[in-house]
Amino acid sequence: MESASLPEERARRLRNLLWWSVLAGLVTWLAAVPLLGGSISFCFFLMLWVTMASGFNIISGFTGYMPFGYVAFYGVGAFTTAILTRKLGVPLALSIPAAGLAGVILSLLFAPTLKLSGIYFAIVSLALSIICRLAITNMPEAWTGGSYGIQLGARSEPVKSFYVMLVVMVACLLTVTWLANSRLGKALRAIRDDADAAEAMGVNVPRVRLYAWMLAALFPSLCGGIEAWYTNVVDAESAFNVLITAKTIIYATAGGLGTVMGPVVGAVVLVWVDELIWQRFPLLNLFLLGLAIVLLIQFMPRGIVGGLLRAYPRLRRFVL
Amino acid sequence: MYSFLLLNALINGVVVGAMYALIGCSLNVLYGVLRVVNFAHGEFVVGGAFLAFVLFEQFGLNPVASAPIGFVAFFIVGAALYYLLMPRLAKSDDPETASFLMMYGVALMGAAIMLMLFEADTRSIDYSFDPVSVKIASVYVPTSRLVALAVNLVIVAALAWFLYRTLAGKALRAAIMNREAIQIVGVNLHRLSAGAFGLALGLAGATGALLAMVFPAFSPFSGPDYTLIGFIIIVLGGLGHPVGAIVGGVLFGVVEQVATVFLPQAMAPMVGFSILILAIFLKPTGLFGRVALR
Repeated sequence: MESASLPEERARRLRNLLWWSVLAGLVTWLAAVPLLGGSISFCFFLMLWVTMASGFNIISGFTGYMPFGYVAFYGVGAFTTAILTRKLGVPLALSIPAAGLAGVILSLLFAPTLKLSGIYFAIVSLALSIICRLAITNMPEAWTGGSYGIQLGARSEPVKSFYVMLVVMVACLLTVTWLANSRLGKALRAIRDDADAAEAMGVNVPRVRLYAWMLAALFPSLCGGIEAWYTNVVDAESAFNVLITAKTIIYATAGGLGTVMGPVVGAVVLVWVDELIWQRFPLLNLFLLGLAIVLLIQFMPRGIVGGLLRAYPRLRRFVL
Repeated sequence: MYSFLLLNALINGVVVGAMYALIGCSLNVLYGVLRVVNFAHGEFVVGGAFLAFVLFEQFGLNPVASAPIGFVAFFIVGAALYYLLMPRLAKSDDPETASFLMMYGVALMGAAIMLMLFEADTRSIDYSFDPVSVKIASVYVPTSRLVALAVNLVIVAALAWFLYRTLAGKALRAAIMNREAIQIVGVNLHRLSAGAFGLALGLAGATGALLAMVFPAFSPFSGPDYTLIGFIIIVLGGLGHPVGAIVGGVLFGVVEQVATVFLPQAMAPMVGFSILILAIFLKPTGLFGRVALR
């Protein structure tokens, strides 16, 4: 069957082509940063936030949930890697994938909360992330290092961890790209827009939701594990900080939830702004972050990409 | 020995629970009327505590007297915030979730302002009552806590009177039940909503002054703790249900304080969160659902 002649199909190909070239450009630039002597630390965190925001997009943008305890996956991933590496001597090649596994297991434990919707889901998710933090701080000190946290004690390899982060970011973006084009992605969007109608059309709502939830949990927990390796230290207070969730949500929302490109654009722009302006005013930083959130919700609730698409619907042909 | 500890925990549970109840109550007024989940509520409560702190340091004012001043000051802040933030928010696709995120931004700003004004140190108000503590059965309870409980009860009584006996209060309850219908009967929804916003934050500010008497130490970073407790209580008691919040608050306070008798101190908050999650799965509408208000 020849469907390429349909304008629909041509537009889809154009969109994908454009997105692939943006992606290829981004990856080439990032891969060259350590070789050309750019700032590894800045780009490491840039990739981390792109991954977090895109992962968040899977559950929030495609599915319509607002997990305000998203940081739980990140923190559990960080602690899994730290405990395995430090206390059990597991090599990093295993302890970082283990972080991802731990995140997916945690998402299965949290799966019953998917029955809740709207604000209930957000509040329960927040409460669960706090329970995770309390559980870890209350574990025996020999395991989690108590309030001092864990020193990984592994050799710090910024360049190596940089490339691992790059691989995870690419994996995350490929997953989201695949999702946007796949049956699963369509099913998710259908559920977001009207769960009952989707069910009537034969979508297995609980199962499809669970897949998205597990995918959305995998990437932040990998981020947590890699960040633990990169900074070589993990403590419960900062690994479960609500600000991590907040920044993830802001970056994703600022770009535009529900589009593949949105969270990437949002994270790149805002991490840059953060580096250029806010870091110079440490005391004002928190205030400006808060102000940014308020202004964002007030004036750009759909984000940069979402807002552009609304103002110029023709752009839809070019944006995945 | 256990009976002594239990009695102590029960009395403190009621005092602390009444504070939680007040926090939940104001949070529910806001959610009920405006469908705004106020993530910044704890910051306003702590702001009220700081206001009482300043009034005491500058003018030697008793924290009990600061409560009404806190109410008026934060009422104005709340009404102003309504006109500043709500009109645009109402046009958003999903106002409820958007408000949640936006108020988180307000919370960060509030914490940052307090941080700039008061620095990160923990503060407390040195006001002492005479006598310092009162003996109830075999337990000594600090007088400040009992006074806070008394003022708390007065505020709850006044709120109940306002909600059930005055026209404005009845309009407010009607707005919780059906926002559209009350416009038909000629209520100015904008003014009512601004009033509800002011009332909620005013109550938070007054709660803050009492808070300084119940939990002597507060810092610019204590806000989120109280916000979370407020969330637990309104979900327990039923979203948008002021009376439910009172029952939920006292229940939560007593359970939390009794839990500290049997569990290590740091574990006590976990009990609270577990109750929340259990409550949501067993009865998502909260203890009172929507029916009791009618």
